[in-house]
Amino acid sequence: MIDISDLYVAFGGLTALNRINVKLDAPVVGVIGPNGAGKTTFLNSLSGFVRPQSGRVVAFGTSLLDLPPHRRARWGLRRSFQKEQVVDEISVEDNIGVVLDPLGLSRGEREKALTAAFEFAGLSGLRKAKAAELNAFERRMTELARCVVGAPRVIMLDEPGAGFSQGEVSRLRDFILGIAAFNGAMTLLIDHDVDLIRTVCVNTMVLDFGILIAHDATEAVMADARVRAVYLGVEEAA
Amino acid sequence: MAFWLFLMSGLAVGALYALGGVGLVLLNRATGVLNFAYGALGALGAMCAWQAMQWGWPEPCAWALSMAIGLAISLGFGALVAPALAKREPIVKALATLGLALSLLGVMNLLWVVTPRRLSLAYDALSIDLGGLRITATRLLALAAGLAVTGLMGLFLARTRVGLMMRAIAENREAAAILGAPIRKVEALAWGLSGLLAGFTGMLFGDLVRLDPAVLTFMVIPIVATTVVGRLTSIPVTFAAGLFIGAVESLSALAPPLAPFRLASPFVVAIFMLLWLNRGRALTFADKD
Amino acid sequence: MSFTRWPRQQWAPALAVGLAALATIFLANGLWMKVLTSVAIFTLTAMSVALLYRRLGQISLGHVALMGLGGWVALRFSHGFSLPFELNLLAGGVVAGLVGVALAYPALRMRGLYLSLVTLMAAGGFSIVVNNTQFPNGADGFLGFAVRATAYMPRPVLAQSDAAYFIYCLVVTGLGFLLVHLHEAGKPGRAWALIRRSEATAMAAGVNVTLYKVWGFALSGFLAGAAGALLAGSLQLLDAHSFPPADSVMICALTIVGGAWNWFGALIAALLFRLAPALLNDWGLNGNAAYIFFGLALIHALATAPRGVAGKLEEALAAGNRK
Repeated sequence: MIDISDLYVAFGGLTALNRINVKLDAPVVGVIGPNGAGKTTFLNSLSGFVRPQSGRVVAFGTSLLDLPPHRRARWGLRRSFQKEQVVDEISVEDNIGVVLDPLGLSRGEREKALTAAFEFAGLSGLRKAKAAELNAFERRMTELARCVVGAPRVIMLDEPGAGFSQGEVSRLRDFILGIAAFNGAMTLLIDHDVDLIRTVCVNTMVLDFGILIAHDATEAVMADARVRAVYLGVEEAA
Repeated sequence: MAFWLFLMSGLAVGALYALGGVGLVLLNRATGVLNFAYGALGALGAMCAWQAMQWGWPEPCAWALSMAIGLAISLGFGALVAPALAKREPIVKALATLGLALSLLGVMNLLWVVTPRRLSLAYDALSIDLGGLRITATRLLALAAGLAVTGLMGLFLARTRVGLMMRAIAENREAAAILGAPIRKVEALAWGLSGLLAGFTGMLFGDLVRLDPAVLTFMVIPIVATTVVGRLTSIPVTFAAGLFIGAVESLSALAPPLAPFRLASPFVVAIFMLLWLNRGRALTFADKD
Repeated sequence: MSFTRWPRQQWAPALAVGLAALATIFLANGLWMKVLTSVAIFTLTAMSVALLYRRLGQISLGHVALMGLGGWVALRFSHGFSLPFELNLLAGGVVAGLVGVALAYPALRMRGLYLSLVTLMAAGGFSIVVNNTQFPNGADGFLGFAVRATAYMPRPVLAQSDAAYFIYCLVVTGLGFLLVHLHEAGKPGRAWALIRRSEATAMAAGVNVTLYKVWGFALSGFLAGAAGALLAGSLQLLDAHSFPPADSVMICALTIVGGAWNWFGALIAALLFRLAPALLNDWGLNGNAAYIFFGLALIHALATAPRGVAGKLEEALAAGNRK
């Protein structure tokens, strides 16, 4: 479970997150809201790229905000970005394996973890290929494989499906659904694709102007009048 | 008495550092380029001016020549080279100016044999008496020019339309272009002004410091130190840093153990500033992600 | 390993260099032997500059000053203690690496341009300091310098003659290359690749960004310091005017012109830096013309050939492969 209390982030005069209090406890939790609501800032606070003015985040017994960003990653916090962050010049295997480097695994353990992640992400044939040779979907899957390899505890995905076809989003959906069974991690998913959120997220939290306006089972949230008001017009576009 | 003499001298040179630094910051803000060739431009201008005076040209023409050379080369670079690198990282753009600096240094060493030379300006002969202190007019010119030009540049940026456009372009080039700012023209203006300034300060450096191509080219080092202190953005801080560095450099001559190392003052000041800036810094965020 | 399956762009340059080295050993006379030894040494320096640029996207404008520092330490150790040459070499490298890190650390945590500014200022600072302290020449005291003293640094036991020392330098440069390669093929290489892509991504993947940036600079500084020690061993006496800021700037420019992504790019840089001016002087031409050319070549390389001459060569050789 992730227990977030009193999270407050402000940039100059702008309040990005206004005292968020929420307990996240489901295999996949959606984070939705209109543009500028603070979703990415929320992830950035958890990642450590943004320092909250106040607040506490305790994830599975560990106070995350006390750790520097790279230590949170080693603890088991993984993340994908809106713009995929895959390194062209190195192989797919290295792109994924880099996240295992600080963990001091034995050769056998590392090999096992990588093979499992490759299979799960459907990239087995591309291990030694240079990332530059991959198409857009394969690159995204490489980034996602980097998120799930080994034993992560919290995986945060920021609009992973943006720009992909129906078929690809469908594969993405299966992937996300399978994460909890694959490695037991909790997934936080930001996305604008309401169908994806509905199929994949057990619970969903809704942000608007930095305020948490709802957090409940996904169907309940989607039916909530306040949420519909805030999202007016977005459902049609999605 | 020696203290005041050295201080005045240091402030004069410091004003030149400051002026150079402000010019660099301005250009950096308008074009995203940190111009390492600033010193070399001034050096070439000063050498050509000296040569012209050897041939009997009157001094004002020599001044004009120096500034014209700075202007021409700077504009040329801005028009021919900078656009080819407009979309690259700042480090690449700065490296290109380094290439220019090296080429200019080569040209100067080719044209002029390395030998001690003096650049004597008419103002050297004039001096005023300030409470028993004799200050040459050249030094006063440096100080006055430093203050005046910096003040004017600050006003220019803050109050004029073109200045506003320069700031907009520095903030976000693409957005400014979409909003209709004439990028090429503003950049040309920035390059031109920078070159003009380089030619001007080159003459004064040549007079007050030494007329030597390599020395003048690497005047860019103390100038760069002022921009570091000013975080590559703040004109007033850069200016103050220049004066401070000039003063420290000059006054160090009075303290025997420090005296031989006084020319390393810009470096020491800049490093201290960087350490100070970095105190309590929790996060590394070198680039915009 | 089957040599017939090695791509041409990998063995051809290696073969060419091997032959050139052999030619040097047997044919070169005193002056040219010294020049080519210098080329071998500056190849190591160029490699260290290239490492920083290629892996961390940083430009150091003070690496020749770091060489000078390494040379100074090697000379001081040599005159002060009776340790083997190799230990003096290591000492030079280690001190240069540490001092390099100490100076660069504040700038490494800021935008890339700051490192260039700091290293440029450091190069200027070094030049001023060393002009006052001079290089150790056998006298007593911390600085080990006295106007009348003239002790020469002894050559390594294995390489007393000029020809032998040339080979020695080639070997050390080769070891340096190996060290870099081992880094790039392993954890540091992956970490650096990620950092270059985006520091946020690297942090999010568990990479200690500051540590790896520092380590990169330390390695680069170490190699430069070692090169400086090699230079001290070659000339056996160093001059305070030998490490001006202009040289630091020039080696950086030439590294980019030569190409920062291949080992022979570093060699090309060293050839341009040391051999070209020597040849020009030999032919009665002014070496300064080279400066003009190099400056323009840098601009050209930045605009059109980011991988430098070596990159173009590699492309040309590789194109022949596809038959």
